[in-house]
Amino acid sequence: MSIVARLEERALQPDHELAALLDQAKDEGAVVNFVGVARPTSKSGDPVDQLVLDHHPRLTVQSLQDIAVSAAERFDVSHVRVVHRCGKVASGEPIVFAGAASAHRRAAFDAADYLMDRLKTDAIFWKREVGEAGSQWIEPTEGDYADRDRWG
Amino acid sequence: MRILFYGALADRLGPQVEVDAPEDWTIAQLREKLIAAHPGVERMLCNQRTRAFVGDTLVFDDYRLSNANTVEFLPPVSGG
Repeated sequence: MSIVARLEERALQPDHELAALLDQAKDEGAVVNFVGVARPTSKSGDPVDQLVLDHHPRLTVQSLQDIAVSAAERFDVSHVRVVHRCGKVASGEPIVFAGAASAHRRAAFDAADYLMDRLKTDAIFWKREVGEAGSQWIEPTEGDYADRDRWG
Repeated sequence: MRILFYGALADRLGPQVEVDAPEDWTIAQLREKLIAAHPGVERMLCNQRTRAFVGDTLVFDDYRLSNANTVEFLPPVSGG
């Protein structure tokens, strides 16, 4: 069993994270990963140049670790990997990598899905979109909370 | 007492303020004092998803400030 939960201040490299997860999971039968990318437009359709992710000096990493540990305990997975950007992320660049490995695919799919639902609502970040229209704080939607709550 | 803010709250109030708060006050009373001084932040500060932390531990409205040097207010969070 391995759990990686990391805050990344520089460019996130999903190919490196996936390679590391595959390397750890050589004895498993399934590796699932999700990559979240900064969108180029806001919900209202305005162009977004970059996403800025503020974080807490201690609680943010703790929240990433808590979420990753919870996924590892909840599903029959052998490896969990969460890497989350902080700071300024240009549109089109990756924000988050969430991956899991297991003997059979269902547990890894479920763990990756769970990781993202928890990260959207419980990871300690404050996001704002920055573009020509100015700066806009982004909070989870009721849909995001409902997605998290379906896990009980 | 030092009060730290994050996210949209920090945008409105700055990352930290100093407040004169009696030791027997609760988090709820501290919120009221902050709202009285900064009426524009009532919606954010009273949002049920805005949480208070003392020493990196989540505390609730009835928590007394007697042992707190610093209180942190975290508005709703969002990763991913």
